[in-house]
Amino acid sequence: MDPGVAAQYAFNGLMLGVIYAMVAVGFTLFFGVLDVIQFAHGDVVMAGAFVALATSLALHALGIAVPALVVIVVACAAGLAMALVGALIARYLVLPLRAAPAFNTLLVTLMLGSILRELVRLFYPNGSNPQPFPRLLPTVSKNLGNFTLRLDSVILLVTGIATIVMVNLVVRRTRFGLAIRAVAQDSDTARSMGIDFERVVLVTFAIGSALAGIAGVVYGLYYNEVNFDIGLLLGVIGFSAAVVGGLGSIYGAILGGFLFAALQTIGSVALPVSSAYNNVFAFAVVIILMTWKPTGLIAERPSERA
Amino acid sequence: MRSHIAVAAAAFAVGGVWLWAFLSTDSVWLFASLIVVAVLAFAFFQRFDAAGRYRRALATRPRRAALFAVLAVAGVAGGLRDQAYPLLMLCTVLLFVVACIGLNIQTGYCGIVNFAGAAFFGTGAYTAAVLSAHGVPHLFAIVAGGIVAALVGSLLILPVLRTRGYYAALVTIAFGILFSTFLEVNSALGGPQGLKLPGIDLFGWRFNRDIQLGGASASFYVNYLVLSLALALAAFVFARRVERSWLGLAFDAVRLDETAAATFGIGIARAKIIAFTLGNLLCGISGATYAMMQGFIAPNNFTFGESLILVSIVILGGIGNPLGIVPAALVIIVVPQKLQFIQEYRFLLYGCLVILILLFRPEGLLPRPLRNYFPESSA
Amino acid sequence: MQRMMLTACAFALACVAAVPSMPASAKETVKIVYIGPLTGGNAALGLGGRNSADLAVQLHNADAKAKYTFDLVKLDDQCKPDIGVQVATKAGADSSIIAGITHYCSAVAIATVDTYHKFGLPVIVWGAVLPAITYGNDYPEIHRVNGTMINQNEVNAKLVTSLGYKTWVIIHDTTDYGKGHDEYFTKFLTQDGGKVLADFGVGADQQDFTAILTKVKELHPDVVYFGGLTPIGVRLRSQMDKLGIQSQFEGTSGIVSDSYIQALGPIAEGTIAFIDGAPIEKLPGGKFFLDQYAAHHYAEPPEAYGAYAFVAANLIMDAIEKVGPNRKAVTAELAKTKDHPSIVGPITFDAHGQNIVPIVTAYVVQDGKWVVWQDSDYAKGKRKLAGRK
Repeated sequence: MDPGVAAQYAFNGLMLGVIYAMVAVGFTLFFGVLDVIQFAHGDVVMAGAFVALATSLALHALGIAVPALVVIVVACAAGLAMALVGALIARYLVLPLRAAPAFNTLLVTLMLGSILRELVRLFYPNGSNPQPFPRLLPTVSKNLGNFTLRLDSVILLVTGIATIVMVNLVVRRTRFGLAIRAVAQDSDTARSMGIDFERVVLVTFAIGSALAGIAGVVYGLYYNEVNFDIGLLLGVIGFSAAVVGGLGSIYGAILGGFLFAALQTIGSVALPVSSAYNNVFAFAVVIILMTWKPTGLIAERPSERA
Repeated sequence: MRSHIAVAAAAFAVGGVWLWAFLSTDSVWLFASLIVVAVLAFAFFQRFDAAGRYRRALATRPRRAALFAVLAVAGVAGGLRDQAYPLLMLCTVLLFVVACIGLNIQTGYCGIVNFAGAAFFGTGAYTAAVLSAHGVPHLFAIVAGGIVAALVGSLLILPVLRTRGYYAALVTIAFGILFSTFLEVNSALGGPQGLKLPGIDLFGWRFNRDIQLGGASASFYVNYLVLSLALALAAFVFARRVERSWLGLAFDAVRLDETAAATFGIGIARAKIIAFTLGNLLCGISGATYAMMQGFIAPNNFTFGESLILVSIVILGGIGNPLGIVPAALVIIVVPQKLQFIQEYRFLLYGCLVILILLFRPEGLLPRPLRNYFPESSA
Repeated sequence: MQRMMLTACAFALACVAAVPSMPASAKETVKIVYIGPLTGGNAALGLGGRNSADLAVQLHNADAKAKYTFDLVKLDDQCKPDIGVQVATKAGADSSIIAGITHYCSAVAIATVDTYHKFGLPVIVWGAVLPAITYGNDYPEIHRVNGTMINQNEVNAKLVTSLGYKTWVIIHDTTDYGKGHDEYFTKFLTQDGGKVLADFGVGADQQDFTAILTKVKELHPDVVYFGGLTPIGVRLRSQMDKLGIQSQFEGTSGIVSDSYIQALGPIAEGTIAFIDGAPIEKLPGGKFFLDQYAAHHYAEPPEAYGAYAFVAANLIMDAIEKVGPNRKAVTAELAKTKDHPSIVGPITFDAHGQNIVPIVTAYVVQDGKWVVWQDSDYAKGKRKLAGRK
């Protein structure tokens, strides 16, 4: 295969991987801190993308057109809005149900995801149609043989990686991150040490959801289109990635995200059948991986709930 | 005792009239008031346990109860005989009830989480489509649909056995998505264009022909209603039998506490395999029948959203209780069709409904009653 | 006591079983149904068709000499075959609906033909171009006023080969619609001397085409032909631009819509596409239609096929006026349609219920609008298409 083409495939895979990794890190954070899977996370990504879209349209209507400024405002808006949504979900749906069987929380968050999807479809103007996302990043491109490198894709890749690294730094190096890790390890002992359990949970959900919001913006800017139902597949892929990498481990989530993107890319390139089978291939591999290692590749953290 | 039975029979008759009005009315007011009546009756019976005696009386005579139910539905069918769309809705409800009874055996009895119910429903449907296109007798195609669904389920059995909780949910969700994606891209099975099916032809009696008996005529959907009713009845009886057998006891033990069940010598893997297979068998059979009734299937009919609907029906009806599935299916399938203005919002409403139920009444509409080891011996 | 109970329930059951059937529909108001994609990626065309059909009904109801008042029931098929079959079953099972104006999406229309035949509901297709919808069966209920994709692709192949292009890559969606375009375009293109380098099928909901387009980039075709609808067309064109593919992009009637241009912005410039029939302004009744449409203040424009929906509605209403609200009679009456005057010209249904539309118009996107090819700067040589000097 021509090296330029191979580079193109690799780059496409990296872009997908960064988006999946951002979603997977959210899943792993939530699981770490509360032993819960927030299935609506993928739809939070979608909601973030729509908030970004609405904000950019509002800014456009107000006459503000400097692209760099618009991008920053839009990203902040999406991140903050989703942080709020995440905190609300934690406060009113997840925390009250933590004594109930795990199945109930699973279902509640699944249904919540469905509700978010329907709310956008029904109440956003023309919600059921695919929405064009504004092109806010410079589209300068450079051709290296068969490989086209575009500035906007590079910016998105760098942003994605930067946000994940930042979240990792917060968790590993700050005092609050220490509190998160303490709660994740043993919430009862953490409480007896004086850590405010509820506050930690709310802020963790906020952080994870803000990350999801920014992932939504990256998605929108990369594909130049958002749709109300992108959340379902993103959520399942993010969850698979987090699980494969080992729930509770941020590095595992990142690994899982890039692994899934690699599977999809390999599936669309190397298989003898049509490239549309890439999702089938990727999910089949995930199921096989789960069978072989039921609790993921990296960490052995069984999800036992009393 | 006999008067209890008689009153129960009268209750079924009234229920039949209610169902007929529920399905055939075009007036939103009448429909809303029927719902209000049902809710009030339900609340009344819950509060005062007025139905306790009659329920116990019927429980000792299951065949009588089944007869009343069949007569009531037959009466409804007679009343609806030439209205095609209400008949179609009733058939759909009954077939979904069969699929949900299958899911109930998996989740409610044995505790296996299955978010790929629509995939097995779809397997049955596509099997029936392929077989009937090749001239296989339709009754066999329907049964084969169930068997193939059970076989496809066996692909998933190893992951399901080895995973717990969220991981098991992920495995079934991934499988569901894999299934619908596979159907979309595979052109041998029609791809996104779907497949067409002929109407059922059972020993020469073509189901897709309107029935003419003397001067009276009835819509051809009555044929499908008879078949669906037979299937639903068989599924009920089957589920009841399983529940009351040693197998059902094993399922409950596995669901409640695997470790304890294992120490009593119950084979966990065996129980789960049997439950999973039985459930998929029922899903497949109802899927095959549904496909032949609709005459057309496409990958879009069997997505994750449909799996969620099946799970919602089971949750709403009361996990573990097959009887609860009927009112739950009526609510989830018929109400949005009738109240056109909520048709658009129906997924939103399902979601809110399930969340409310899980927050405030997790047992569902008709909670599963305690296991009754010794039937009531006196009136 | 129990005797009375038993008698009571027997009586109740007997009452229920003896209830007479629902009353027949009233004579004065007749229901006809419009089915099209009112939501989803092709909603613009579905809404344009809906408004046009509605316009026809309103104009007819305003006519004092009409015998019947018509009520247009509007159903949404979401451009999905399964939803289409569901709503078609609903319409067919409702005996008060006498006839239908159906479908823009070919994938839906081909799936529903059996349903309409099952219920004996006469329908006239207004926007779907797959030939098999009328020619693939012998159902008397199915008719169509717009053209099929055969002519479209024939004219298409001739025009683009005359522009000097030599090599093509064909991308099509995997529904019967996309496959039909693939089949006919390949046939006519190879007849006219073009060379097809590769052929790709894509799913109707596919988001990411970077894998396929990377392969296309390797092949360096002169033109990329797309047989499919607007949502995928938009994504393909946008991702082609992202990957730096310089080939000319062309499509079929499926992408001739304002939403294509709106979604792509300046990237849409230079796309070529084709539609059966003349542009609305040049139709015999075109000006009348556009004036009336504007006077009724609809929120959405009629789009490419609105005029055909208008014609279909009028044909149905004229037939019902003549023979009364009876499905069988209307089916028989529609079969006799010959040189029936309409805003798109005289309508004649052949033995398969198909109307022959003689003209195919070529369009190109110029400055954010679909411009007729002959009138465009590209045809006159003032601007250059991709890859041409």
